[in-house]
Amino acid sequence: MLKKLALTAVVLGSSLLASSEVNVYSHRHYDTDKQLFKMFEDKTGIKVNVVKAKASALIKRMESEGAKSPADVLITVDAGRLYQAKQKDLLQSIKSNYLTTNIPEKLRDTDNKWFALTKRSRVAVYRIGSDVENQLKTYEDLADPKFKGQIMVRSSNNIYNQSLMAAMIAHHGEEKALDWAKGVVANMAKAPKGNDRYQVKAVANGIGSIAIANTYYIGKMVDNKDASQRESVKKVKIFFPEFKNGGTHINVSGAGVAKYSPNKENAIKFIEFMASKEAQELFAKGNYEYPVLAGVKSSDLVSSWGQFKDDTISINTLGENNAAAIKVFDKAGWK
Amino acid sequence: MINSFSKLKISSVFLTLLISAPAIIIFLYLFSGSSDNWQHLKDTLLFEYIFNTLYIMFGVAILTGLIGFTTAYLTSLYTFTFSRFFHYALILPFAIPTYIMAFIYGGMFDITGSVTTFILDLFDTSLNEVYFFDIMSIEGAIIIMSLVLYPYVYLICKTYLSFESASIIDAAKTFNLSSWQILKKVILPVSRPAIVAGVTLAVMEAIADFGVMDYFGVSTFVTGIFRAWFGMGSVEDAAKLASILMTFVFIIIVLERLQRRNKVYKSSGKDFKPIDKIKLSGGKNVAAVIVCFIPFFLGFLLPFIQLCYWFLLSYEEIIDEDFMTLLYQTLTLAISSAFIITGLALLFVYNVRLNGDKTSSSLNQIVKMGYSIPGAVVGVGILSFFAVLDKYVFDIFSETFIISGTIIAVIFGYCVRFLAISINNFESAFSRIPTSYDDAAKILNIGDKKTFFKIYVPLLKNASFSAFIVIFIEVIKELPLTMILRPFNYDTLAVRALELTQQAQIVESSVPSMFIIIIGIISVILLARNMNKV
Repeated sequence: MLKKLALTAVVLGSSLLASSEVNVYSHRHYDTDKQLFKMFEDKTGIKVNVVKAKASALIKRMESEGAKSPADVLITVDAGRLYQAKQKDLLQSIKSNYLTTNIPEKLRDTDNKWFALTKRSRVAVYRIGSDVENQLKTYEDLADPKFKGQIMVRSSNNIYNQSLMAAMIAHHGEEKALDWAKGVVANMAKAPKGNDRYQVKAVANGIGSIAIANTYYIGKMVDNKDASQRESVKKVKIFFPEFKNGGTHINVSGAGVAKYSPNKENAIKFIEFMASKEAQELFAKGNYEYPVLAGVKSSDLVSSWGQFKDDTISINTLGENNAAAIKVFDKAGWK
Repeated sequence: MINSFSKLKISSVFLTLLISAPAIIIFLYLFSGSSDNWQHLKDTLLFEYIFNTLYIMFGVAILTGLIGFTTAYLTSLYTFTFSRFFHYALILPFAIPTYIMAFIYGGMFDITGSVTTFILDLFDTSLNEVYFFDIMSIEGAIIIMSLVLYPYVYLICKTYLSFESASIIDAAKTFNLSSWQILKKVILPVSRPAIVAGVTLAVMEAIADFGVMDYFGVSTFVTGIFRAWFGMGSVEDAAKLASILMTFVFIIIVLERLQRRNKVYKSSGKDFKPIDKIKLSGGKNVAAVIVCFIPFFLGFLLPFIQLCYWFLLSYEEIIDEDFMTLLYQTLTLAISSAFIITGLALLFVYNVRLNGDKTSSSLNQIVKMGYSIPGAVVGVGILSFFAVLDKYVFDIFSETFIISGTIIAVIFGYCVRFLAISINNFESAFSRIPTSYDDAAKILNIGDKKTFFKIYVPLLKNASFSAFIVIFIEVIKELPLTMILRPFNYDTLAVRALELTQQAQIVESSVPSMFIIIIGIISVILLARNMNKV
């Protein structure tokens, strides 16, 4: 048995040498991505090998594998982890005219070590019929005592909340961010638990009146086999709050080329494809995300939620402030 | 000259080192200098982690002990309506992964769940007006974990009771004791080691859980470990928390050991006599049926019905060629891992039997620690360990070959995590083999190897089979380790189920979950039939 296993391992190991491949470490786990990989394979003849896991686990794996790592591309669902990978020197700068011309400067790394592929924004979802529409304007408002017992939000373990807090720190500094967090905790309808969909369902069912959630979950709830999710989402509406001195909080999924990538050329081709028009259209339609490529339209459903202005801060700061954000949460007692 | 005695011991020591290497690496992080993060953790969350983890340990111990022992006692000593059915049925919850159970119960019973809203609609009232037990709480987590984990206690107690209790009960009867008195004065005290052994496994699994606790918003050491590692990017702090958790487990193991040492009931070696089961009738019969039905209903039937409904909604979409590959990969992985782990466990336990010294039994304790470390943390330890091997050992052979990200790494991970279960299994089986057998073999000057193959292997056939099946199910259900260590393009049913739930496709996730559960059910039936043969 062991012999056979060792053989399998050797075969696996050596197959990684083949040049018509690209090895992707991905934190994204959507069926849309599977379709995109297939499209890339059909178009270029380059085989896409994928390992999916939590971003931090993938980063740790690249770190451990060192110079022998088979990884070519790292994809994560948030900018913070790409920042971490860059800090640990696991990514390399690449030259791609296509990417630097087409992906806005704010949505890519300063050294071209990673590029955003999709956007999603973290918004307020309120129950239709509640008076939230006229009272809520900014993220800062969420800490206002007038919303006491009204707010549903998931735990601070979640990266989307951490990035929102990182943005808050970027706008106001840690001290004010802590006051804000304390205010939100005091306004919570329930102690944080469940995922974003749970928060939306709770608000739809009369528990609290504002849920903090990512936009694409709403799309997923509209298009769902589970009737309770479809029914819940009918009872709510999306509102895009803004920071007092900025826009609506956004986070990105992005990709970078691994430092020791054995198939660097393929890796670049792969990322360029993910930022191409056809791939961006599928991201937008299949997963209710916002495309990063100018000229690509959002899906009809996503467009129906309305327009918003992106936050002015650089996506890079989300990663820089991540650890500080967690500490602020802990001090505020945001579970 | 090295005899087989010491050969066995040397290989045990070597294997222990190998298997504990990931844990040792995690421990080493303790000395990597302290960060201000650690001070922050101490100031804010550490107390909560300790309190919640203790609360969960306590709650799960009580509930699993109560459910597991009561049902084992009833089905081993009495016959009542459906008692043969319950013999099998009570093990079934074991087939459902805890995270799937949490999703299903969340979907039905949380404040927005289908059952809750149905009841509210029925009485035309709202949640603000009535108080509802919120399943997504620490108490809810304890209930869910206990419903899935009580079969550990049930299985071990049942094996013990069916094997040991007949002569004791007969003896007790000669003193004219009532059933209640026999239970209180005889059966409960002699079953204590079996109860504790089962409860220990259940508690260890409960405190290593991440999925349920994270979804229910309960902060424990494990959620803290993930937070420190994933959130703050601090492996050092994650490792420190893991070390504290390991200390907890070490204490549990030592306590379990201590209480067992005081109460060793070795088999007298007399012929095994099956119990004359007492037939229950009237109120007692009804009570027994109800007591056995509740854990079966809540732990299996109810979640299973919900899953079946979801399965019917979505199976056409999910089952395709890729899915069949997935199924094949999962099965071959589970079978090969179960073979290897069962074999290794046998070696470890036989070493203790043969050498019977403190070193050998402490080796087993060290190996068992892996079970308590959360899968993801074991994964990190293994990554770091193989990184060293790849860099300094395999480099000699090839510039490109690496062990990280291969099937070997995955199976090694399972060994680290699950050896404890099969060792526990064999330990109780060995304790039932009278020592007179060994003495006889020694007097007749039969070699250790021959004794092992001629005497132990046949005697341990059933225990080996149970160990194999239990590991097989564990591997099928395993999640975090597989996620971190698997090779390219390699998925398992559990991984697929998780991916689908993360995409909000809870309904679709029922398809891989259903396969996990069906495989589990078949295994559980085999396990129960095997238990009959004991």
